[in-house]
Amino acid sequence: MITLAQLALNALSLGAAYALVALGFVLILNATGAVNFAQGDLVMAGGYLTAWFVVLLPLPGLVLLPLAMVATALLGLAALALAYFPLMRRPPSTVFVSTIAIGLILQNGAVRLFGPEPRVTPPVLGGGEVHWAGLTLSRQSISLIVVAAVLILGQRWLLARTRLGRQMRATAEDRTMAAALGIPVRAMIALTFALAAALAGAGGMLLGNQFFVTPTEGSALILKAYVAVVIGGWGSLEGAVAGALLVAAFETIVAALVSYTAAIALLYGVLVAILLLRPEGLFGEAAGRRA
Amino acid sequence: MNAPRGVALLGAASLIIYAVGFASAYELRVLTFAGCQVLMVLGYQLIFGHAGALSLAQGAFFGLGAYVTAILGARYGAGFAASFPLSILLPVALAALIAVPVLRLASHYFALATLGLAQVVLLAFVNGGTWTGGALGIPGLPGVSIFGWTVARGLPLLSLVWAVVAFGAFLSGRMTNGITGLAFTMLRENPLAASAIGIDGARLRFSAFLLSAGYGGAAGALEAHTAGVVSPEALGFNQLVTCLAMTVIGGSTRVAGAFLGALLLTYLPERLRFLEGQALLAYGAALLAAVILAPEGLAGLLARLWAKLEPVVRKDQVRPSPLILPPLGTREPLLEVRALARRFGGIEAIAGVDLTLASGEILGLIGPNGSGKTTLANLVTGLTKPDRGVIRFQGRRIDDLGAFEIARLGIARTFQTSALPAEVMVLAAVAVARASEARVLGTAAVLHARDRGAHRRKLDAEAMGLLERLGAGAVALRPCGDLPPGLARRVEIARALALRPSLLILDEPAAGLAESEHTNLADTLRSLAAEGLALIVIEHNMPFLLGLAGRVLALDAGRVIATGTPAEIRRDPRVMASYLGSAAA
Amino acid sequence: MNSPLLAIESLDVAGLAGPVLEKVSVTIDAGEVVALLGANGAGKSTLLQAIMGLLPARGSIRFAGEEIAALGAAARARRGLGYVPEGRRLFPGMTVRDNLLVACHESASLGAQRLGETLDLFPTLAERLLTPAWQLSGGQQQMLAIGRALMGAPRLLLLDEPSLGLAPLVIEQLMRELPRLSERGVAILLAEQSVARALTVADRVYALAHGRIVAEGTPAELRNSGILEQAFLGAEIPLSSRP
Repeated sequence: MITLAQLALNALSLGAAYALVALGFVLILNATGAVNFAQGDLVMAGGYLTAWFVVLLPLPGLVLLPLAMVATALLGLAALALAYFPLMRRPPSTVFVSTIAIGLILQNGAVRLFGPEPRVTPPVLGGGEVHWAGLTLSRQSISLIVVAAVLILGQRWLLARTRLGRQMRATAEDRTMAAALGIPVRAMIALTFALAAALAGAGGMLLGNQFFVTPTEGSALILKAYVAVVIGGWGSLEGAVAGALLVAAFETIVAALVSYTAAIALLYGVLVAILLLRPEGLFGEAAGRRA
Repeated sequence: MNAPRGVALLGAASLIIYAVGFASAYELRVLTFAGCQVLMVLGYQLIFGHAGALSLAQGAFFGLGAYVTAILGARYGAGFAASFPLSILLPVALAALIAVPVLRLASHYFALATLGLAQVVLLAFVNGGTWTGGALGIPGLPGVSIFGWTVARGLPLLSLVWAVVAFGAFLSGRMTNGITGLAFTMLRENPLAASAIGIDGARLRFSAFLLSAGYGGAAGALEAHTAGVVSPEALGFNQLVTCLAMTVIGGSTRVAGAFLGALLLTYLPERLRFLEGQALLAYGAALLAAVILAPEGLAGLLARLWAKLEPVVRKDQVRPSPLILPPLGTREPLLEVRALARRFGGIEAIAGVDLTLASGEILGLIGPNGSGKTTLANLVTGLTKPDRGVIRFQGRRIDDLGAFEIARLGIARTFQTSALPAEVMVLAAVAVARASEARVLGTAAVLHARDRGAHRRKLDAEAMGLLERLGAGAVALRPCGDLPPGLARRVEIARALALRPSLLILDEPAAGLAESEHTNLADTLRSLAAEGLALIVIEHNMPFLLGLAGRVLALDAGRVIATGTPAEIRRDPRVMASYLGSAAA
Repeated sequence: MNSPLLAIESLDVAGLAGPVLEKVSVTIDAGEVVALLGANGAGKSTLLQAIMGLLPARGSIRFAGEEIAALGAAARARRGLGYVPEGRRLFPGMTVRDNLLVACHESASLGAQRLGETLDLFPTLAERLLTPAWQLSGGQQQMLAIGRALMGAPRLLLLDEPSLGLAPLVIEQLMRELPRLSERGVAILLAEQSVARALTVADRVYALAHGRIVAEGTPAELRNSGILEQAFLGAEIPLSSRP
């Protein structure tokens, strides 16, 4: 019998992990104008890499987290080199297909290297439960929320307040103009990719503790990221976070009230409604954004 | 074309010889499976390759067909004659249901919607309880039985499957090698230009989507019979990815590509046993390589090779036949625009424009950059909708109609930058417009063979007549991309005329043309006007307009600042001011 | 000045429907204001884009003695070319401050100093440092676009139709700023639709028609020759006798 508080915590924690995935998705979308279908598989890769690291170097979760992020960032850069840069002058639909291919390679590479059984990642701040105000809450859920919040705020700070972040934002808003102002556009795209992949890696490690890492989780995750981003507003970073929380809420809270299948059907209903009634999403670009 | 037919016959012959003479029972099974995949890919090519829409639901349609066959066959003992058509109809019905809201979405939304559909279908079947066998699926499917006759596994089943494949390929080839295929090419490459020649893109995409669903369902049904068992795997992402890989690697717009891709990716894993379990990894790498290095797939590479080895086959001389424009004296004024306004962001592109045009008139439209000339053209032709105001054509309000509808009513246009598909033959590019006007595009026309034989010859003849009229007859058999700008302009005008318009809007027709070509063009336009065609000519080149237009409208900042004869306009101080700036700095 | 700051020789740019620029040769000396005149489609924007490296072009482009025709846009920007495109192209979601700072690649302190100088030049921007660029008025946006290009301390500023979409009063204000910029040693190549306006600020003028240079000289030389009308409207009425 799960209490409302636990349910809310689950929703928030799941949503926080999804937010990391969706955020990476939008960062790449804004920087390159194309959809990265392999985003979910990068999450999966992050999870597997962590599960592998912890066997080699039994370090605490909090130390493994940056390692997982760096390793996944490197994978992200490889994906950039293989699936994006060769296709920069082609229509975005070809990038869609090429990233599907990358996702395939990641998925089956994972099976080849780690076998098909699910793995578990270590908890980030220790497992077990915490007792507070008469409630019993999972420590990992709480740590997940905290870590995700730190990463999201850190990403926000990087983009809003640093010179590098300014250049990354300019590249995402108008690549040609950025070049005409002396900004090294390719380097900025690469950085954005690395950042997005790092967030995916963090998501993979965080999710892998309570939900296991499986080779095929990427397909489900990319769909959720996609849904989150469309509902939140295509291209909006805040929207991605909001959409992710909404998706998680449907999967946990609504699913507890009706059934899982019905909750997913309802979520798609919301998606279709947004597509038809407010296609720019909840936080989408307003019409007056022309300079 | 004899080469593809020859290759097809050769392929069919080798297949038959292999199947009858050499293959073991196991190999026959593999060949049968391969046939099912070919069928699925043939369908997928229609929506992904030809309509250019990234559908991710093909796996769902395939699985749906498989499950319908399994449920009807294993649970209700239905025969093939009942289960097969239903396995096709149900996916088509589902596609039709979701197509309307989903097809008008931009590409990434469409992909998402189809992916979502696939997930929902998968979820529904996995959680379908005893109906669908849940996660385990449905075992023990009886063999194919058509009205009591059993089609045994092995050679008979293989023959049935490949007979269906042959029919599917025939149908798909009919659709895509003819004039409808050209319409799809235009839709993919330049949707705006396609709507400007009256092509109803939405309807074509709808047909392609439904057909892809039908082919997918048929393929799934046949695979269910071959395997004897059905599981949610058939609905999963892997099925879609396999289909996508086969389509891209084989070639997404050529029928041969479906065969090449499906056979290659079915047999290669069989031959390369050491890749066991890594087939999908290899698919991924091959898919990536194909997208980057060979976007047209194997079939595309082979076609290019063939074109290099064999010179272009000269078609029989096409005898031109004249095309009659609609008679004079239709409701006047021909075009009436009142208080038209359109804003983009903070800028009023058109801020209140009135204009009237009669049949046979030539109206010049001038104005500095940003004055709204092209916006006005876009408003009249339906590419943009006005915020306020009314546009009437032959007395009928058109400002709420779609671009292709307006083109069909008789308003044609050319664009500033060339809108001709580079790889298509000139004659064919104009013939597509004829076909669009004659309403012989689309599935219905294909099925009734209204787009081939004598009908096609008539379209070609009329297209040739137009090309000759515009002085471009000599280049009729060359690809559009090879044309110098002057001829390309003429071909575009010929194509616009193929719509039998009453009004033709030309956007900077003289740009990029040599001085000598200006006179020819002006003469042609004058003769067209003499036959009753009304012309709106947007130009910067004042000397060109001087000899051509009866009346000129000068725009500035979205408003009409002067109208008059070209000579009057040239001396008008307001026009001078708008082009040269006011005397007071 | 001995050797010119910018020397373009025989530049060709090909377009979809034929050549857009043909055998264009232009020179600009340091600190000069040079105007590029021409009707739409004449090739003014294309020329500026080609100089900036945003379009493929054939021919020689020498900047401060160095051949830059093979360099990409970012490299040219770093060598001292500033670009203010037609329609401004600000980064709409970024604030005024961010739009300005992103164009400066020096140290933080030097960046702050340049920011101060730019804000001195355009005080209205100082009042709106944290406003997102899309909320600014047309005139403010134009100032921001120019300020942004100045943040890179360019030696040559490429200005593409800065008066488009601006009210006349604002245009006058803008045109008054241009000589001030050239006083600070920044050369300006200005593409301008309005002949009269360009003639009041330019030291020298080039006239483009159908992708070729059809006239060049000082404003005084061109004012009375009637060449400009000929090029643009095919009329023969000289500028000086217009009502």
